Amino acid sequence: MRCDDCGSPANIRYVEMVDGELRDLHLCDDCANTRGMALSLSPFAGPLVDMLMGLLDEMRVGEERTEDGRVCPECGLTRGEFRRTGKLGCASCYEAFGSELKPLLRRVHGSTVHTGTIPSKAPRDIETGRRARALQLELERAVRAEEYERAAELRDEIRRLETEVEVGDTEDRTPVESDAGGANVDV
Amino acid sequence: MWTFETMVGEPSSWLDASGPRSDVVLSTRVRVARNLSGHPFPAMAGVDDLAAVEEKVLTSASKSNYLTNALVVRMDEAGPPVRQILVERHLASPTFGVRAEGRSVVIGENEVVSAMVNEEDHLRLQSLRSGLQPLDAWRLVSRIDVEVERNLQYAFSKNWGYLTSCPTNVGTGVRVSVLVHLVGLARLGEVAQVLSGISKLGLSVRGFYGERSAALGGFFQVSNQTTLGQSEEDIAYTVERVSSRIVELELKAREELVARAGRKIEDEIWRAHGILTSARVMSSEEVMSLCSSLRLGVARGIIGGIDLGTLNRLLVVTQPGHLKYFHGENPSSDERDRMRADLIRRELGNRERTQ
Repeated sequence: MRCDDCGSPANIRYVEMVDGELRDLHLCDDCANTRGMALSLSPFAGPLVDMLMGLLDEMRVGEERTEDGRVCPECGLTRGEFRRTGKLGCASCYEAFGSELKPLLRRVHGSTVHTGTIPSKAPRDIETGRRARALQLELERAVRAEEYERAAELRDEIRRLETEVEVGDTEDRTPVESDAGGANVDV
Repeated sequence: MWTFETMVGEPSSWLDASGPRSDVVLSTRVRVARNLSGHPFPAMAGVDDLAAVEEKVLTSASKSNYLTNALVVRMDEAGPPVRQILVERHLASPTFGVRAEGRSVVIGENEVVSAMVNEEDHLRLQSLRSGLQPLDAWRLVSRIDVEVERNLQYAFSKNWGYLTSCPTNVGTGVRVSVLVHLVGLARLGEVAQVLSGISKLGLSVRGFYGERSAALGGFFQVSNQTTLGQSEEDIAYTVERVSSRIVELELKAREELVARAGRKIEDEIWRAHGILTSARVMSSEEVMSLCSSLRLGVARGIIGGIDLGTLNRLLVVTQPGHLKYFHGENPSSDERDRMRADLIRRELGNRERTQ
């Protein structure tokens, strides 16, 4: 989630009720300071925000009930809208509607796994994971062909790659964006 | 200097019939769909997000070696005539720019590479090449994609690849389309059979230049239907291989057509030539159908002195947007039909008879 004011990563979610209108803001530290929110809010943050969050979540539950489905927490697209238009609203929709997307993708594409190019900035483990799977297939072939020396080499190489993925995993797990919402309010 | 005026004044380079199999294939287009992480897709994005994405994409694109001197057309500054020209030159989709804010088109020199910003996805990057060149076109798009990506963070999932607004594009986000002229198969009544064979191979086919164009001139677009589970090279290769096979079938059909009804076909081609070089009023549907016949005649060597590139170009520059642009005002449909006939006579070199 990005700061509504400046677009840098937001770590404050600010919910307020103005004239009966519920406003849901995502802000970064700096912009929250500029608006004078961080300070003024802190003493009341707990109960007030919880109450407003509760209202917000109730509204979402209401939508869910009428649409008989989920809502993307990032962009607010409902399952009903997705079904009507066939279009998703943002990258997070792929998570939010994952369970029904999977069979849909299988029907449309005959596959649910991407095997094409990878952006140069994608985490390294995607590439290594692919390479490990390819080596695993070769290992099975080597064992069937009773090429044990080759098999041992392959096994070592796969182990090496797997350690790399684990290390890479923790390194790469720094989130690209802050969490999409939920009930976490850091004030 | 590469400006909108110079662009419209020159024919699109991908229409020049210099590419492989130009006797049957007019052009190849490869596009990739990309989105930036951290912004909703255009349909769900507010004005601020659209502006931020536009800014990021335009800045990043300008740093690509292929787009340094590119022309940028901002849709909120472009009127309907400019939009129509972009559509006719295959640089924008028909609905692009209806919602204009935050939308733009980036056009590289000679229109070989171009991009739409904030269409259905944040970035649609494409390459248009003459003739049948899926693999070349893909490799070109891929090189530019890498350059453009340097300053962007694409929305990408480990399992599902590049995330797109429509799940039918997810994965590679790649669409490879080939524009073919199947006049021979159409005349023999075999086109439906061939096309249903193509769809069984996982490719899709539709009439080009509007739905009636198939019936009018035998122009079809062949493209991949699926984008997930295969590499881009494999997708491009499949389209290339299937299209090559279609070309073979079409050439055989033309051969058979001439063998079966040579004199009749020859007569039809010369009549088309006669009308195109003499008529004073011409509808766009008539152009489509006559150019199709003449194209067959030129490709078979029945008529000399006209090149296929000229005929490809006529299909674009005789469309309403181009005619309006050169006329200056908004010509009526009757005026356009007259302008169209004049333009064709000029292009086909019968200057002395234009009086």
